Amino acid sequence: MSLLAVSNLTKRYRRGDNTIAAVDDVSFHIEPGETLALAGPSGSGKSTIARVVLRLIEPDDGRIEFEGDDFLALRSAALRARRARLQMVFQDPLAAFNPRATVARVLDDPLRIHGIASRSERPRRIAALLERVGLTADLAPRAIHEISGGQRQRVAIARAIATKPSLIVLDEAVSALDVSVRGEILELLLDLQRQEKIAYLFISHDLGVIRSIAHRVILLDAGRVAENGDARTVIDAPQSAIGKALVAAAPRLNRTLMRLASAGLD
Amino acid sequence: MSALRRFLRTPEAVAGAILLAALIAMALSASLLFPGDPQAIAGPALLPSFQDWSLPLGTDRLGRDVLAELFHGARTSLAVGIAAAAAALVVGAVVGTLAGFAGGLVDEVLMRITDAFQTVPSFLLALAFVSVVGPSLGIVVIAIALGTWTGPARVARAEVLSIRERDYVAGARVIGMHPLAIAFREVLPNALPPVLAMSSVIVAAAILTEAALSFLGLGDPNRVTWGGMIAEGRAVLRTAPFLSIVPGIALVLTVLGVYLAGEGLVETTAVRRGLS
Repeated sequence: MSLLAVSNLTKRYRRGDNTIAAVDDVSFHIEPGETLALAGPSGSGKSTIARVVLRLIEPDDGRIEFEGDDFLALRSAALRARRARLQMVFQDPLAAFNPRATVARVLDDPLRIHGIASRSERPRRIAALLERVGLTADLAPRAIHEISGGQRQRVAIARAIATKPSLIVLDEAVSALDVSVRGEILELLLDLQRQEKIAYLFISHDLGVIRSIAHRVILLDAGRVAENGDARTVIDAPQSAIGKALVAAAPRLNRTLMRLASAGLD
Repeated sequence: MSALRRFLRTPEAVAGAILLAALIAMALSASLLFPGDPQAIAGPALLPSFQDWSLPLGTDRLGRDVLAELFHGARTSLAVGIAAAAAALVVGAVVGTLAGFAGGLVDEVLMRITDAFQTVPSFLLALAFVSVVGPSLGIVVIAIALGTWTGPARVARAEVLSIRERDYVAGARVIGMHPLAIAFREVLPNALPPVLAMSSVIVAAAILTEAALSFLGLGDPNRVTWGGMIAEGRAVLRTAPFLSIVPGIALVLTVLGVYLAGEGLVETTAVRRGLS
């Protein structure tokens, strides 16, 4: 049984008189402990799929089965309780937290809401979570805007794993980070996956990162699945037009950056 | 504490804070310095200011001590102003947050109620309410709040509409937070700065409205109010203008102090917001 099975998912937006299908009849599944990447150009429906899977927006059509249950049928309290098992890390770690929050409060919320630890136990849990993602416990009283981008994304990951989820949706989770920090965060994600058997729905436009972290990849084009298969096979030899375009664009960009760097314009 | 330092660095804010502190000191010390009934007769009628040092500001038509009345009036003005503004801000912020966050029918209903209140001039509403229910301090507070909560409600709603689309609100939903907790713990505190920015204007307006109600004889008759003092002095405006001028100046300084201190507070929170 798949951990997450999405079938015939459709989400349309109405713009004036015509409707645009942001997601059009998309089906996929994720196995426990697996990383599935969603890739595609801007506007291909990657983030819409992520938000529908998380029930942040409701689909027009389709079915989502999570841990064997009809996820779309869950309502209010039952849905909130089940959210513990399905977490998310956002692209911009600064926007993903209440600007007034401290690190401790950010991590305290999921522990309190899902009754994971008693009030007296929570500071210890928070310290353990911070250490689990490679931070020190003395960061807890700091305000979110006082810590660095990389630290913030680690806190976001700590919050996501606080409720012991089986699936984490990573929506461009490393795209806003600089290259060295990106590598460290990817290491952390791989390590968490190995130890806790967490599955990832990894949304990214960076095929290099996808190739290094994902098991399987789905290439999207205008809300439809263009290509689907083993991450390395697809990226090394894309069959679809959009796949070829994405792969062709990636090294060209790298070459440009390298030329800029060697010219001292980095 | 850097916010306090920033506040103290703005000269207008400091001036406002000093005026406000003086007003609060007057209000708090009123019953210590003038323990008797301020409405009791203390000397000859219409004694001019600075003639008798036991009655420094003189007496009014009935021989009541103007300085004592001024101190006790500060109490009423401050109490009514702050209570009415606080009630208006709390009701406005809650209504605006619920409307903006819930959307749909709830939003529609709450905003039409807001419209209904806003179409009636707030002073007229206060006047009508006090005339019908009868003048007492609590009623005056409710009457003023009734006409002023719509402004904060609109501002809060507009702010909430933009905040509810932010990632951290989605993040709060993802961790399973209850919608009401999201509205009041995550959204409302971040929607507050522009609402609180209105507080100085609202407190100042509430103090003026209270004075206007008292001037028209609709204040609490058992309390000295500056508006009542001005109304009292109006009859002898030619012969004893100080009876109207003294409470008038007090009113101006109070409103100015509240306004300046409020502006200073907004400045400092605006800087904090810029950071986040």
